[in-house]
Amino acid sequence: MVTKDDQAMAWRFERVAGPYQGPTGGVAWDGEAMLFSVPNEGRIMRFNATTGAIGEYRRYMNRVNGLGFGADGDFYGCQEGSRRIVQFHPDGSTTTTATWLDGKIHNYPSDLVVDKAGRVWFSDPCNATPAIGIYRPPLDHASVLRLERDQGAWRLVLVTRDTNAPRAVLLSADETILYVSEGDCRGERNCALRSYPVNADGSVGPYEELHAFGIDHRGAHRGIEGMCLDSGHNIVACAGSRQSGPGPLVYVFSPGGVVLETRPLPFDMPMRCAFGDADLCSLYVTSGDGGVYRAKTERKGLLKRQ
Amino acid sequence: MRNNTKGQKMHIETIAPGLERLIESNPPFDRVVHGIQFGEGPVWDRRAGRLYFVDILGNTIWKWTPGVGREAVLHPSGYADGMTLDRQGRLVVAGWSLRTVWRFEKDGSLKTLVSHYQGKKINTPNDIVVRSDGSIYWTDSRGGLIIPGMVPVDCQPYLDYQGVFRLSADGTQVSLLIDDCESPNGLAFSPDESVLYVNDTRRAHIRAFDVRADGSLGTGRLFHRLTGKEEGVADGMKVDTEGNVYCTGPGGIHVTDPDGNLLGRLKIAEHCTNFAWGDEDWRSMYITTHESVYRTRVKIPGVATW
Repeated sequence: MVTKDDQAMAWRFERVAGPYQGPTGGVAWDGEAMLFSVPNEGRIMRFNATTGAIGEYRRYMNRVNGLGFGADGDFYGCQEGSRRIVQFHPDGSTTTTATWLDGKIHNYPSDLVVDKAGRVWFSDPCNATPAIGIYRPPLDHASVLRLERDQGAWRLVLVTRDTNAPRAVLLSADETILYVSEGDCRGERNCALRSYPVNADGSVGPYEELHAFGIDHRGAHRGIEGMCLDSGHNIVACAGSRQSGPGPLVYVFSPGGVVLETRPLPFDMPMRCAFGDADLCSLYVTSGDGGVYRAKTERKGLLKRQ
Repeated sequence: MRNNTKGQKMHIETIAPGLERLIESNPPFDRVVHGIQFGEGPVWDRRAGRLYFVDILGNTIWKWTPGVGREAVLHPSGYADGMTLDRQGRLVVAGWSLRTVWRFEKDGSLKTLVSHYQGKKINTPNDIVVRSDGSIYWTDSRGGLIIPGMVPVDCQPYLDYQGVFRLSADGTQVSLLIDDCESPNGLAFSPDESVLYVNDTRRAHIRAFDVRADGSLGTGRLFHRLTGKEEGVADGMKVDTEGNVYCTGPGGIHVTDPDGNLLGRLKIAEHCTNFAWGDEDWRSMYITTHESVYRTRVKIPGVATW
């Protein structure tokens, strides 16, 4: 049953930026503006939520996709085209992190989340578009990896050992759970949202499958590409496509995986999402059509930055 | 086809008449160095009778002396790339990840020659050549900023172009000569220095530029388009004393006559990155690959390094 109140709270997504060439990617709220990446244009843009002005934050970025802030304001991006995580500095410079794992360069990072200790957790799937330069084979696994500082130098740690195509990553508010969107839907497999308990030493235990996306005659339903937390510590995720299943949606999962609500999206192939605006009540979603969309919601984002 | 004692192979592929005048059908092909990760930057030092080369990923500048073998010259090297010698016999280095052009002084110290252009940090100097008037020309691509595995001090490009620069002989004047490259890489003068050849990795071509008396360049013309589907790209390039142009490309080293017609290829099983003319008669080629340095012989001497 749809009540009048539900109607009043419809999330009306409007495009506030774009369309750009190719999909828009990562999104991250910097306190007054929404930063978002345009991987195929090699740019990171900054949407001033107050004025609506759009400026260029970085250019020549060689396909940066996922973006994320740490609690202390450290800002990182997943540079798919260079197979590494990079850190953006306020002076305009950009630095690299550790890229070698067991003698090989890691894959094509897609999404990241920074914990309170400043460690960068990221999904490291393969990618149909090769990196720039001479071909170097990927790792023999596609996992969630973590960057840690080791006396100033970055060190790379393997986190998951059972993923095939990790897409979105997220930590619970207390950082005891790692949420991973598994996007491997080849054969009879379905996309899924997993939760991994995080041990004190940073390793993870066996996962629980919180949500399984379906499969029908049109194919496997597209899983979660982006997710963030709201102030109730729920998982706000964008997933789905018009190809199969219920279509492009925003899902809100409880921390334990109960679907609290879904909201349809008026555009296909939602990519990443983040809360923004002064009240943190607007949800921004990037998209396969190269736009950035925003809707007022009755939910509020959980702001990690202090 | 000649196999050396280790089983590495080179095959001389004749495409047009004339190649037999430049190289025997079955020349010697000896591996003089192996066990490196990314050989590059070879240059023959006629004064000392030795070869200098780099291992980019190994972060080392090496020297190799006949009868002695390989010895480290500098580690870490800032992931140095192309190298040449100036009129005084000093090693001049395309600093790649250091984002500088620098020089070994006679006292063993390192001197930065160029780091900025018009107040902006340059990209990553890739290859380098010294003209008879002492001026230094180098290609300035973004490769060292974005290729996986490279470790620049700052991976942010600041220039809106990738091109070729010149540093005046007195070291005071940096000039931008070409700004319309996609991925500038190897460069070499014709024997009389009336033409500068510049190749472009992504466009897989070589352009020829007339050199004016003041060292600036006229409009470029397409000199040769590389062909072949094997592994290998436009990278190192040198000219012999008759004006034939040797350039790495798919499958090995491509040889063209002074008009840009392909005569043949030196097909080499490993990925060739660059080469240097060497030995007293300048009729040897020291070929760097990712893993090794090979030596072969040709009939026409190369243009000598200062």
